Amino acid sequence: MSGDHHNTEESGPAARVKAIEELLASKGLIDPATVDAIVDTYENKVGPRNGARVVAKAWTDPAYRRRLLADATAAVRELGYAGPEGGHLVAVENTARVHNLVVCTLCSCYPWPVLGLPPVWYKSFAYRSRAVSDPRGVMKDFGLELAPEVEVRVWDSSAEIRYLVIPERPAGTDRMSEAELAELVTRDSMVGVAKVAPPKRAAR
Amino acid sequence: MSDAALRKLGYGARLDGNQVFSAPWEARAFAIALRLSEAGHFTWDEFREHLIAEVGASDKIRARDGTSDHGEYFEHFLRALEKLLAEKNLAE
Repeated sequence: MSGDHHNTEESGPAARVKAIEELLASKGLIDPATVDAIVDTYENKVGPRNGARVVAKAWTDPAYRRRLLADATAAVRELGYAGPEGGHLVAVENTARVHNLVVCTLCSCYPWPVLGLPPVWYKSFAYRSRAVSDPRGVMKDFGLELAPEVEVRVWDSSAEIRYLVIPERPAGTDRMSEAELAELVTRDSMVGVAKVAPPKRAAR
Repeated sequence: MSDAALRKLGYGARLDGNQVFSAPWEARAFAIALRLSEAGHFTWDEFREHLIAEVGASDKIRARDGTSDHGEYFEHFLRALEKLLAEKNLAE
């Protein structure tokens, strides 16, 4: 098979994965039902809504915000979020003066318990290779232009640590509940490639 | 993420940049690797080292040729899994 890069029935990735799964199942090393359950968890259950709840709580509860900044792993566990790739989580806070951006330059390290699995762009060569050398250029690709005086801090997740950005709370949200605020928080804002937009209702 | 930004990242219109998996086999490869590590057949760090090696080899070629990837991350992921299974004699 070596040298055959065609995506034929025998050598394409789908067939290779099927062969691996069947072999491992026949040896009793994995149970396909368990594989199904993991797929369901990461496709449907673990995702950026978890992180959005963390951010909304930090915005509305100063004591929680302090705990999150001091020990994010413990603070997100308070809300029930733990698991693989959540072992050493650090929360970094955006302010009017500082903007944080997260990347994993070597592969795809990402805080699964609070954000789920990373999107395609986070794993792309373009993002990984440019986020450190040209963070403002990358953010511009996402439609985010920061004032020149804002300090940009780029966090490379490729060590043991996973990062969660606490975005700035947008103006016009003083009367919103924690649950309403969580609805505003996007995954991109918790990676640092976007800000949280003010609520649309405020324009009414 | 906007379509324009996605194009700048080199994907064209083929992929939804917000997707976690773009084909069912990607999800199963991920779940198999995670399950095997949970069961103690290897650690996730061991798997990550193999993944970094595959991604790094591809990055070198991209940097040399000045090309963008087309969302082939899970192809690296699958090769890393295959190599680790072979090393651990799990695929015999």
